Formats: sequence, C-alpha cells, structure tokens
Amino acid sequence: MPRGTSEVSEPMYFVLTALRAGPLHGHAISKAIKELSRGRVQPSVGTLYGILERLNERGVITVDREETVNGRNRRYFRITSDGQALVEAEARRMQEAAALVLRPSGA
Amino acid sequence: MTPLERRYRRLLLAYPRAYRRKHGDELLDVLLEDAAPGRRVPVLREAWGLLAGGVRSRIVHQATGSVWVDGVHLGVTAVAAVNLAALLPYAEALPLWTLLSALALLAILRGRSRTAFALTLLTGVKAVGIAAGFQAFDVTLLPVSPSRLTGRALFQDSDPLVVAAGYAVVLIGLAVLAWPRRPVRARSWWWWAVVVPVAWAGPQWLPEETRYPISLSRMCVEVAVFGLVVAAGYLTRDYRWVLASGIYLLLLSCDLAFHVEYLERQHLAYAGILFLLLVAAAFAPLRQRRHCLD
Repeated sequence: MPRGTSEVSEPMYFVLTALRAGPLHGHAISKAIKELSRGRVQPSVGTLYGILERLNERGVITVDREETVNGRNRRYFRITSDGQALVEAEARRMQEAAALVLRPSGA
Repeated sequence: MTPLERRYRRLLLAYPRAYRRKHGDELLDVLLEDAAPGRRVPVLREAWGLLAGGVRSRIVHQATGSVWVDGVHLGVTAVAAVNLAALLPYAEALPLWTLLSALALLAILRGRSRTAFALTLLTGVKAVGIAAGFQAFDVTLLPVSPSRLTGRALFQDSDPLVVAAGYAVVLIGLAVLAWPRRPVRARSWWWWAVVVPVAWAGPQWLPEETRYPISLSRMCVEVAVFGLVVAAGYLTRDYRWVLASGIYLLLLSCDLAFHVEYLERQHLAYAGILFLLLVAAAFAPLRQRRHCLD
C-alpha cells in the first residue's frame, strides 16, 4: 500500500467526528466542524459537499434519510462501521504521533 | 428570489446538470442558511468553493467507462472543433460546407459516430480540394475570401497534406468508434465555445509578416484546455485525457513540422508549453496519495 493511504485529511476527520454523534444534514455538519475545530477548519459549502460525496461513494458514510424543508431536499448523512473504524484508526495514529512529543522526557 | 440566491444559482452552473438537478437546491439551502442577513453578494471563499467543486465534479463524472474509447472520442472532438474553426471565418463564402462541418461536430458531440464519419468525409474532401486547388462536389471561387474573423484566404498558409491529416485523424478515430459500434457518451455543449476563439485571427502576437500565423486567442484556449487536462489527470488518476491531448498534439506537431522554416520563437514557446503540459498530464496520475480517499 503506498505511503499515506491509511490517513484521513483534516476536513474529512472533522466530518467523520461530527457524524459520530448521529445523522446530520449539510448545514449541521458545517456548524459541527466549526465548533469541533474551534473555528480553525471551515470548509466552503462546495468543498464540504465534495468531501461528503466522496465519503459516501467509498461507503465511509451513507445517506440516512431525506427530508423536504421549505420545498428543498435535505439529506441526512450517518457514519458507517467502516467510517467508525477509519476515524478511530486515524485518532490512534495521531495520538501515537502526539505522544512522541508530549510524553514526559525519559519516560 | 433574492439577488444572493440568484448569484449562487449562477455559480452552481459549474456543477454537472444531473448533479445540480439532484442536489443543487440542497447546496443552495446550506449556502443561504450560512449567509449573513441582508447579504447580496456571495462570499469569495464560497464562490471559489462552488467553482472548484463544480469543475472537480464535472471532471470526476467524465472519468468513467473505457479509457481508450473515451480518450479517442475526446481527441476526435477536439480536432473536429479545430476543423470547423478553420472554415468558420469563411461561412459567407462556404455556407453549405461550414454547416456540414458544424453538423459533423454536433454528431460527434452527441456520440453519433457513423453520421459524423459521413459528414466529416464529405467536408474533408471539399476542404482538401480547396487547399490543393481542385474542385470537389461544387464549384468554389479560389482563393476563398476572408471575412471578419481573419484577414487571410482559406488555407492560404496551409499545406494540403496538413489539412488532409486533420480530417484523416477524425475519420480514423470515428471509424474505430463506429465499426464495431462502441457506445460513446454525449459531450458538453461547451465545446462550441472554443470554436470562435480558435477561428479568430486576433489578437496578434506573432510578427505580421509570418507565413504561419496562429492567433493568441487560439493559443490561450489550447493552453487553458491542456491545463484542464493536467488537473483532470491529477484528480482522477486517469489516462483518457492524456490520450486525447496526445492525438491533438500529434496533429499540431505535423503542422509545425510542415512550417519548420517559418517558425518564430513564439511558435516554439507555444509548442513547448503544450508539450510540457502534456508531460505533466502524463505524470499527474502517478502522484502519491495524500490520504485514504485521495
């Protein structure tokens, strides 16, 4: 497997983390990403939906249900078991990497 | 409809029609919910996100089906557009042949390979006849006078062999696609938009006395399209775009070779940029993955 293929980009990581709490629609995901990253990650709507479509195509997330609000269709996305495994693996990888720097010296 | 909604709807045109029909309103809903009250103009970051996302979506949707069939069809489409562009400035003098050339391009864009083959064959014989100085099908007063888009007579500076090569490439490609019949997708209507700048003889960049004029508008269109080829190869890791641009560049190389004694440094710079972009497009699919969904 080429180097880097098990890694998740930062916006994807926050999308998956937001969806761990339950199914959300596009605007709610956008708000959750902003809150979780403390305003640091704010993908544009075009970028966010590009990420959602790719995650959906790869089976990492799926459409939970669709609702019509103000005459407009709204998809609610939920994380799949593959997505859960992916985001947890990424969290462990980052934890191990952070531990190299943050563990007390000599430990 | 508010001015902001109208402007966002215009930006959403960057997405493929099928995607827009299914999800355009959903994106619009999020964009309008995110917008500050009273805002009339899209936020620059959102506008750029929609344009980049739309182009990306269009490119990714194109990267399906057989690579070589689609690559050949794309290359044939580009060459057919240039063939039409060569005749377009002379539409007043050659209305029937310009119309047939336009119909050939239309048939190619709609994936009608056999119809396109017949139309291209007819137009090709007439065009080569004009370039070589013989009368085919009907009597045409030679040289064919220029119109508003150019100041030169039709094929004044072209070798008949190069004109023939342009049509032969399209015919060979269409024959490969048509016998046996291979399904090809309908192509974007945006191809019509490249014909006029390619046909236009201005603005001038090369010295006026050159025997091999290529307009700056044509060069810009070609460089922009080759830039998209690099982006497409990078995003999709697919070689269909390189195959298509390789077919196009092969033909352009023949044209340059026939005019080798008249080449200026601008010609070389132009050809060099296109070759560099082709090499970049060939290597772009080999790039290292940045993350698991890349």
